[in-house]
Amino acid sequence: MRWTLVRWTHAGSRMAEQLLSVRQLIVEARSPHGRSVQLVRGLDLDIEAGEILGLTGESGAGKSLTAQVLMGLTPPGMMVAGDSLIRWRGRELNGLAERQWRKLRGSQFALIPQNPMTALNPTRSIGSQMRYLLKLHRQTTGRMATEAAARALSRLAIPDAGRVLERYPHQLSGGMAQRALIAMAVLCRPKLLIADEVTSALDVTSQAAIVDQLTGVCRESGTALLMITHDLGLVARSCDRAAVMYFGRIVEQGPVDSLFGEPRHPYTAGLLAAIPGRADPSQTRLNSLAGQVPDVDWRPSGCSFAPRCNKAAERCIDREPENIKEDERSYRCFHPLLRSP
Amino acid sequence: MSTLALQTGQRIRDRLRHDALGLIALTVVVAYVGIAVGVWLGLWGAEWSALSGPGWASPSAEHWLGTNRLGQDILARALASTATAFEIGVLVAVATTVLGALAGGLAGYAGPGKVDDTLLWLIGTLEAIPFYLLVAALVFALGGHPLAMHLAMIATFWTSTARLVRAETQRIRELPFIEAARVAGLAPRAIVLRHVLPNAAHILLVQGTLVFMAAIKVEVVLSFLGIGVQDSISWGVMIAEGAQDILAGQYWNFAAASLFLFGLVMAANLLADQLQDALDPRSLDSRWQPHG
Repeated sequence: MRWTLVRWTHAGSRMAEQLLSVRQLIVEARSPHGRSVQLVRGLDLDIEAGEILGLTGESGAGKSLTAQVLMGLTPPGMMVAGDSLIRWRGRELNGLAERQWRKLRGSQFALIPQNPMTALNPTRSIGSQMRYLLKLHRQTTGRMATEAAARALSRLAIPDAGRVLERYPHQLSGGMAQRALIAMAVLCRPKLLIADEVTSALDVTSQAAIVDQLTGVCRESGTALLMITHDLGLVARSCDRAAVMYFGRIVEQGPVDSLFGEPRHPYTAGLLAAIPGRADPSQTRLNSLAGQVPDVDWRPSGCSFAPRCNKAAERCIDREPENIKEDERSYRCFHPLLRSP
Repeated sequence: MSTLALQTGQRIRDRLRHDALGLIALTVVVAYVGIAVGVWLGLWGAEWSALSGPGWASPSAEHWLGTNRLGQDILARALASTATAFEIGVLVAVATTVLGALAGGLAGYAGPGKVDDTLLWLIGTLEAIPFYLLVAALVFALGGHPLAMHLAMIATFWTSTARLVRAETQRIRELPFIEAARVAGLAPRAIVLRHVLPNAAHILLVQGTLVFMAAIKVEVVLSFLGIGVQDSISWGVMIAEGAQDILAGQYWNFAAASLFLFGLVMAANLLADQLQDALDPRSLDSRWQPHG
C-alpha cells in the first residue's frame, strides 16, 4: 500500500478531490551511445484540489523536468517510462496523444514560466494574447473576453487593467510581466497551476508580493498550486505541504509545519541548516551542505544521498531505503532524525 | 496596428532621416508608385497603343519623348509599362511571401522530419529546373495565358523566401515564448501564425522587396524575349522595339524604357539595403530586453 491510501483514509473527512496522482514516474534520457540515464527515478506525488504544495530541492534534482513532464512536454531526447502512472482526476495521461494533451494544457492545468521577460510574444499586446487563450479554451470572444482578461489582471493587483491589456511586453516591468503571466495562467480557471521558479528572475522586493498574490488568487478560487522553488523560505511562507526532491526522487514530504519543524531526512535537515540565521540568528558564517548532487552518469547503488550524509552506514550504500510513512508525512531514510527530547 | 509595425516604421524612419541616399531612394520609389496609380486611375498612359502621330517623331510639346516607328507616344508607353511592372511585382511578391512564409514556417517549426524533408526536396527540385525553360514550358502549356509568367515566377521565387523563413523559424522556435505558447495549449499552426511569423516580419519585408524587384526585372527580360507580357505594354517590349529602332538611328524608345527600368530597380535596391540595415535582427533583439 502506498502513501496515498494512508493519506486518503486520513483525509477522508476533508472530502478533497484528488487532482493529480503520480506513481513511479521515471524519465530517461538516451545518450547517443544508446546508454540511458534516469533523470527522474520513481517519483510519487499527489496533489489535492485547492492545496498548495511546494516542490523543493537543489538545482539538478529534476524539479523542472518533472513539471515539464506533468504538462505533457517531455523535452526532446527524453522519454517517460511506459509503466509510469500520471493520473489526472482518475484519467491516465501517460501515453496520451498530443492532441488530447493540448485540450488539457492551459485549460485544466497551466504552467507559469520561469522568466517573465522572454515568455511573452513581443509582437502581440497582453490583451491579444489573453483573448486568444479565452477563445481557444473557453470559446469566449469579444467584449466578454476583454472583460474577463481585465478581471484576471485586477485579481493580481494590477492597477488600470484596461490599459495594461493594450500594452506590449516590452512596455512592462519584470514584476508586471510576471503578474500578467500569472493572470494568463489563471485566466481559463484551471484546476491546477504549476509555478516553476516564478520569482527567481525578479528582484527581492517584488518576490514576496508576487508570491502572496499568486497564493492569494489560488486560495480565493480554490486552484491547486504546485510551487517549484529552491527557496525554502518561500515554501514555509506559502505552502500547505512540501516535498523535498533529491536526485530524481522525493526523499521527504509532509505538512510544512512538521516537515520544517522536525525534518526526518538528513537532506531536509541539511537544507534547513543552510538557511542563513535560521538556527542561530547571531551566526556570522553561512552553513553549507557539503558535496553536490551526483552526476547522472554515476548510478548510486544505495541511497543517493549517502555520499554526502554524515549518518550514512553500510546498508545506506548497499540498498535504497523504502518510503516510510508516518502520519501525514513520509521519508526515504534508514536513519531518520528523531524528535529531540 | 501592432507594435512590431510601429517599431518597424520607427526604425525605418530613423534610418532614412539620417541617410540622404535612402531618402532619395524612397522618394523615387514613391514617385513610381504615383505613376502606376495614375495609370490605373486613367490619368495618363491610357493612349499607349494609339497611333497618335507620325512615326519616329522627335520630342516635342505634344510627344515629350517622341514617338516610335508606328507613331505611338513613347512617354505614354513608358508610363503604362510602369503599371504593368507594378502589377507583376506586387502580385509575385505577395504570393511568394505568403507561400514562402507558410511553407518555411511550418517546416521550420516541425523540425527535422517528414514535413521538413519534403519541403527541402521540393525546393531543391524547383531550383534545379532552369528558370527560362520553365517559363517557356508554362507559356506553351497554358497556351499563352497572360498569367503563365506570373505562375512561373511564383513557382520558383517562393523557394528562397521559404528557405530564409525556415532558418529564422528554427531560431525563433527555441525562444521561451514559443514554449510558453505550447504550455498554454496552442496548436502548432496557431503558434506558427501568431507567434513565429510576426517575429520574422523583418525577413518577410526585406525578402518581399527583393522579390518585387526580381519579378520586375524578369518580366522585362521575358517580355523582351516575347514570352512575357502578351496583349499589354512593358519596358521589355519597348526595349525589343528599340533594338530595331537603334539600327535606324532612333534612340528614344530604347533610352526611355531602359531609364525607367534603371531608375526603379536602382531606387528599390537602395531602399531594400536600407530596410535590411534598419531591420537587422541583431538590433531587433533589443525588443526582448527588459526595460527596468
